[in-house]
Amino acid sequence: MRLFETTDTGSVEIEIGEDLQARLEELAERNRQLFAERGIRAFDITGSVGAGKTSLIAGMVERLSGKHGVAVIAGDVATTHDAERVAGKGARKVLQINTGGMCHLDASLVARALGQLPESGIDVLFIENVGNLICPSFFSLGAEKRIAVVSASEGSHVIEKHPAMFESADVVVLNKMDIAEAVNVDMEQPVADLEKVRPGIPVVKTNCRTGEGVDDVLLALELG
Amino acid sequence: MHEYSIALEVWGSVAAAAREHGGGRVRSIRLEVGVLNLIEDEQLSFWVVALAERDGSPGVELEIVQVPGRVKCRGCGAEGELRVPQGTLPYFAMGAVRCAECGSGEVDVVGGRDLKVVTAEIETEGRNGRGE
Repeated sequence: MRLFETTDTGSVEIEIGEDLQARLEELAERNRQLFAERGIRAFDITGSVGAGKTSLIAGMVERLSGKHGVAVIAGDVATTHDAERVAGKGARKVLQINTGGMCHLDASLVARALGQLPESGIDVLFIENVGNLICPSFFSLGAEKRIAVVSASEGSHVIEKHPAMFESADVVVLNKMDIAEAVNVDMEQPVADLEKVRPGIPVVKTNCRTGEGVDDVLLALELG
Repeated sequence: MHEYSIALEVWGSVAAAAREHGGGRVRSIRLEVGVLNLIEDEQLSFWVVALAERDGSPGVELEIVQVPGRVKCRGCGAEGELRVPQGTLPYFAMGAVRCAECGSGEVDVVGGRDLKVVTAEIETEGRNGRGE
């Protein structure tokens, strides 16, 4: 509803009332509906560059593709490396989105990519977000759950430093547990920090290189 | 963070409204921006002004009303404004917030993430006061 208020200075003040946050929420909700309509369970995987998102997804695809039609959308500023790594693990379709400079995926980019997935036969979708623990926090993709991946080499205070990301996450994966000692990082610190800010949030320790812990991630996501 | 893309959205919204109301120059814009968005006001202003200038509204004035963070306690249900020490960005205090009533650290954010284009003042050269 636009209201007019006239002024004596040769201008009018217009009420615009455009709620940009609501618009973002609407886009996410539209994706939720699209996924539901197509029977797709979608998961948003976030984490810093090199945390292990792609490795985790590759491991999950490998374990699920016998019983599920799995697709992967990989988001990156540049290159198709991530998509290439996952291809050949059994996914029905692997798509790369190059964001062209944007530091996060958003619901509209994902909606567009959905159009390139097969009409049927996909019931699980892993969306690998751009490597970044800050920006994706503000943009919901409309996925069923968000998995935040943290790796030992990022230090022990990652949780504290990125409050919005861990507030928006549903499952946290602590990866590269095998090198924690080598990089002198106490991985009980993030566990404790998560318990403080998100009591009860599932936390799974993994070594995605060997696959250790990936089954537990699938359990936490109720994927079997 | 993302000030440029937000500026694009803001200016797009205002420019459309201006076109609907005679297409005159935009004099000023009022925005409501929640402090938990981590948006740098100066950067946002810079980009909105730059876009406005590009599109024929040079010198537009931006008023940014900061909306404080608001949290609701999951424990006792108390709701209130998020208060942080001077010099701390509210976003970074989120991990350490405590309910003022019961001391619980489990709170939900219920305000402070706003991003609204509220009003715009548009010139009406050659039109009477009723915009006709």
